[in-house]
Amino acid sequence: MFALTGLQQVFAQDEKGGDVSTTLTAHSSDGIFGSTASYTFSVRNSSKTVQTGKVSYLVTTEANKKVRADSARVKIGVGGNGSYNFDIPGLKPGFYKINFMVNVTDYDDTTRKAFGIRPDQIQSQFGKPADFESFWLKTKEELAKVKPEYKVTEMPDSAKDNRRVFKVEMKSLDGLVIRGFLTEPVTKNKNKKFAVLLGLPGYQVTLGPMFGTDPDIAIFTINIRGSGYSRDVINVRRESYIVLNLEDKNRYVLRGAIMDCVRAVDFIYSRPELRHDNIIAAGGSLGGFLAVATSSIDKRISFCSAANPILCDIRNLVNEVDWPFIDIRQYISTRPGLTMEKVLENLDYFDGKNFGTGLECKTLVGMGLVDPIAPPNNVYIMYNGVRAQKHLIIFRDLGHEIGKKYSVYEGRWMRDTFALF
Amino acid sequence: MGLLKTFTKTILIALILLITTKGVTFADGGFPVRPGRLLISPSISYFFASSQWDSTGIKKPFANGGKYTSFGGTLYSEYGINRSFAAVASLPFVYNQYTQNTAPRSTNSSGLTDLETGIRYYLANIDFIYYFSLQGTAITPLYSNNASLGYGKEGGELKLAFSGSAPIGDLSCYFNAADGVRQYFGGNNGPIQNRWNATFGLSLDEEFSNQVSATLSGINSWSNDKSFVSALPETNKNFSFIQASLSYGHSFTHEISLFLSGGEFLTGKNTGVGTTVSLAFIYRLDYR
Repeated sequence: MFALTGLQQVFAQDEKGGDVSTTLTAHSSDGIFGSTASYTFSVRNSSKTVQTGKVSYLVTTEANKKVRADSARVKIGVGGNGSYNFDIPGLKPGFYKINFMVNVTDYDDTTRKAFGIRPDQIQSQFGKPADFESFWLKTKEELAKVKPEYKVTEMPDSAKDNRRVFKVEMKSLDGLVIRGFLTEPVTKNKNKKFAVLLGLPGYQVTLGPMFGTDPDIAIFTINIRGSGYSRDVINVRRESYIVLNLEDKNRYVLRGAIMDCVRAVDFIYSRPELRHDNIIAAGGSLGGFLAVATSSIDKRISFCSAANPILCDIRNLVNEVDWPFIDIRQYISTRPGLTMEKVLENLDYFDGKNFGTGLECKTLVGMGLVDPIAPPNNVYIMYNGVRAQKHLIIFRDLGHEIGKKYSVYEGRWMRDTFALF
Repeated sequence: MGLLKTFTKTILIALILLITTKGVTFADGGFPVRPGRLLISPSISYFFASSQWDSTGIKKPFANGGKYTSFGGTLYSEYGINRSFAAVASLPFVYNQYTQNTAPRSTNSSGLTDLETGIRYYLANIDFIYYFSLQGTAITPLYSNNASLGYGKEGGELKLAFSGSAPIGDLSCYFNAADGVRQYFGGNNGPIQNRWNATFGLSLDEEFSNQVSATLSGINSWSNDKSFVSALPETNKNFSFIQASLSYGHSFTHEISLFLSGGEFLTGKNTGVGTTVSLAFIYRLDYR
């Protein structure tokens, strides 16, 4: 519903040029509302002609199904300003996309936002496979049979920020060699043990050694199979990675990738100078997903930080996001006998939502309300399933990224958790 | 997927840069003490007063050109037992002198004063920015029958402290606020005191190598014994004052810092109009 408030006309503005501009104000700092979404849409006419036409809004689900729409005729004089308050009551719990359109004489524009209604009540209609836990238990047992054969090589030429750098090589599931980099602060204290940040990669991201002046934290960045420095056996095109062996859950690439992360924790446990009870697994996007998955099946991780985790509530993602389903549909079309349902059955074992319920460590999640890859509905469903101590930071106007507020909170919470006062 | 790659890199790099932002130097505040960390702080101090506030708060010079000076040395230490508890201890020594232009021209006293030992408990935090701690302290006199060193009575104190830190651009600020109630035992006149302080500090560089702070502190002490023993607050029983002080701190390494402070008593009753200077050396040693 629209409510026109204070349509004003200002005459004789002596300004040359100028345009029509719009401002949208959400009456909630994080875009979350209890029952009624509330916005003010302002249109300013800085042009030299009277602007007539309409302003409108369209609310859809994240799957683009129309929920609400309304419009109002407007006439804004030269130099004038129109403000339109509107409330959208009666929506079910969930996240919605909302577009605000202005279509006037000389200007057409659309502002795209999103909002949530009582998201703590969102639940997926899809369950977890009955053998989900045993599937991962067996996978870990399979990994345990592979001797890690750690090779640690110091790289003195790469040292900086008062940190030593080590290249780490190890064998993971199926005997694949994966590589990572460990950086440790230089210290004179021989008894010093470092808390560990396990940095997990985004999709097809190459992770080199990571630095920083923090004297208490060692950083271990891992390149999962088929990514960065771990492409010896799996070396596929970017779009092919996410679908590699998708027809078989026991051969799907992410099964091995998650085990690579578990192996990284094995490595941390093999190092006496690292604090085995102070491990934070952190990453964004695919790295966020890996953080959730690894922390769920490997209880040695004591803090999980997942920014914009992808692949949450996958069955509901099908009609909500382009990626990875463009690549998945393409893959299915080239595999006779393979169906979307079969793929989804396999992906149930790789659904962030299903890992979320197994998290027992402190968990921080970050998300953007207009994220087209990790939509808020899906991330929130994963978050709602977490029974451990948790915190979610929502960025109302961000897409597939998080803001500085997240990193600051993460650092403070981690330090408190690890008693690094 | 170029966008994904960029975002993910940004996320990880941002995280690593920002986890380094905790490093403000402080002690004896509301912040918890790291388990296994031993902080040792030997300090020296100088106190001077040539006038006093009487029991009504009127300022007047000491008779016969009298002047109080006191040189002190204190060994302060705290140790993080676990994430919730820390042990604290303070061992002070003073050399007091009162001079005047009539006989006796000089009166001296010196010795260990009140040993303070306590336990600090990490009470709570708000969003990991504001921290609260509760500290119980036992006061044990290390002298007897020497009113110029203190009351000579055992005592106890319960103190609530509140601290926080926040970035200001590339720099950082912090505050400590504490209020403690102290009761000296034995006899009817063992004073009950309210001791408080509030500090605001600012780092002058990103590495926390240099910082400045301003502190306002005070004591209100109530007792039936209204006498004036000396200009030193520790010797009178019924008195009050408010002191302002400024401090500069320099960290040579993560382990070693030096603080220089200067203060002036702003107002008071039944105590000296004191001026103080102190130099504190802080050494941190991690045992885990």
